[in-house]
Amino acid sequence: MNHLEAMLLEMKDTSEIMVDLAYSSLLYNSKEIAEEVVALAENLGDLAARIQGEAISLGQSNPAEVARVVVITRLQASIMDIAGAAGAIAGVVIRGLAENPVLAMSIRDSDTTICLAKVAENSVLVDRTFGDVSLSTNCGMFVIAIRRDKEYIFGPGANTRMEVGDILIARGPEEGEGYFKDLADGTEKKI
Amino acid sequence: MGSGRMNGGDDLSELKRVDMNVRELLTEMKDTSEIIVDLAYASLMYNSVSMADKVREMEGVMDDLKFAIRYKVLMASRTKEDARQLSGLLEVATAADRISDAASEIVDLLKMPTEQRPFISEMLSESGEKIRILRVKPESSMVGFTIGKLAVEACTGCKIIAIKNRHGWTYDPDDDMKIRAGDDLVVRGTDDGADRLVQFAEGRAQWEFPEPDDEAGVAEDEDDEEDIEEELREDERGP
Repeated sequence: MNHLEAMLLEMKDTSEIMVDLAYSSLLYNSKEIAEEVVALAENLGDLAARIQGEAISLGQSNPAEVARVVVITRLQASIMDIAGAAGAIAGVVIRGLAENPVLAMSIRDSDTTICLAKVAENSVLVDRTFGDVSLSTNCGMFVIAIRRDKEYIFGPGANTRMEVGDILIARGPEEGEGYFKDLADGTEKKI
Repeated sequence: MGSGRMNGGDDLSELKRVDMNVRELLTEMKDTSEIIVDLAYASLMYNSVSMADKVREMEGVMDDLKFAIRYKVLMASRTKEDARQLSGLLEVATAADRISDAASEIVDLLKMPTEQRPFISEMLSESGEKIRILRVKPESSMVGFTIGKLAVEACTGCKIIAIKNRHGWTYDPDDDMKIRAGDDLVVRGTDDGADRLVQFAEGRAQWEFPEPDDEAGVAEDEDDEEDIEEELREDERGP
């Protein structure tokens, strides 16, 4: 995979995190999460501009690559649309228009739900990294953000370590919720 | 918000889905906005025209949902405060629809010849959460069980976005769909999760059915979640 494709892939992954975070900000009516979506949108805008510049140079220097440039440009535009939609959802929260309980309820009713769990002192997750415990593989719950000491960690990676008191915001199937919460609150010891 | 029962004189013949309430409409729009993007990328990865057609069909349904929710919301608005709050709701519905429009644009890339977009499959296969296709072997312990009974996503982190069996493709399959020998599953998940699912699908590992959540535990978890949510809010409001 070349540099241009790697950048495009980063855009795609970011746009997906943005959608997850946007729906989470709506569920918890959280302006801080919504503002992260806006910040990610800005990063994405920069990345899009760089991709565009590099794609144009590629097409100019090598006419055989023009088809690839067209595909990249179109895909990038669609990804930006998705990111823009996430930004619009975040905008609802930032403007204080997300108080209608129907919004939170419809997210809770969804096939893919979002939930919170707090890491207790006696939880097996304490001091373990996401790479160690593979939460997603084991319970289907994908942690999209952590609230720690009044700060958020967005999109934690395999090397991110969980600490006592962390509030985990996760997305996943309803059936995964119980086990996930039990792991966090220490009632379930087996991963 | 009422369910908006229609009076005899109303002609809503062009408006579909108005029998659903706003909450149901919005839930379906959110669900669709998520699955449609996965399906769109999957159609590019596997050059699947039928998946692309399904994306376009879902996009059409999304338009119906959008008009239905607008109608419902406008009918429900009585006061300035209603209008303020409902404007946010409409914006969310519009955003979900925008996502589905983007998905439909993504599948339009299939109209370009395959040789002009060979890098897409490779690129998508490097994604954080990947889309993979795998086949269920006859010796798999998954055979004969429904997706819901297996709780596939909870046990592996892989969401089944499409199944191909002898009857053809089923997209966004329901929980009551049975897994059969020879089925091809298109899934979205982490590498780890997909590797585990392959073990199950090929019969190299025995499916471990999740223990059903006891009701007391579920109720307790829900109470806990309310407390945590309160904490999150307190925290955000700050000192």
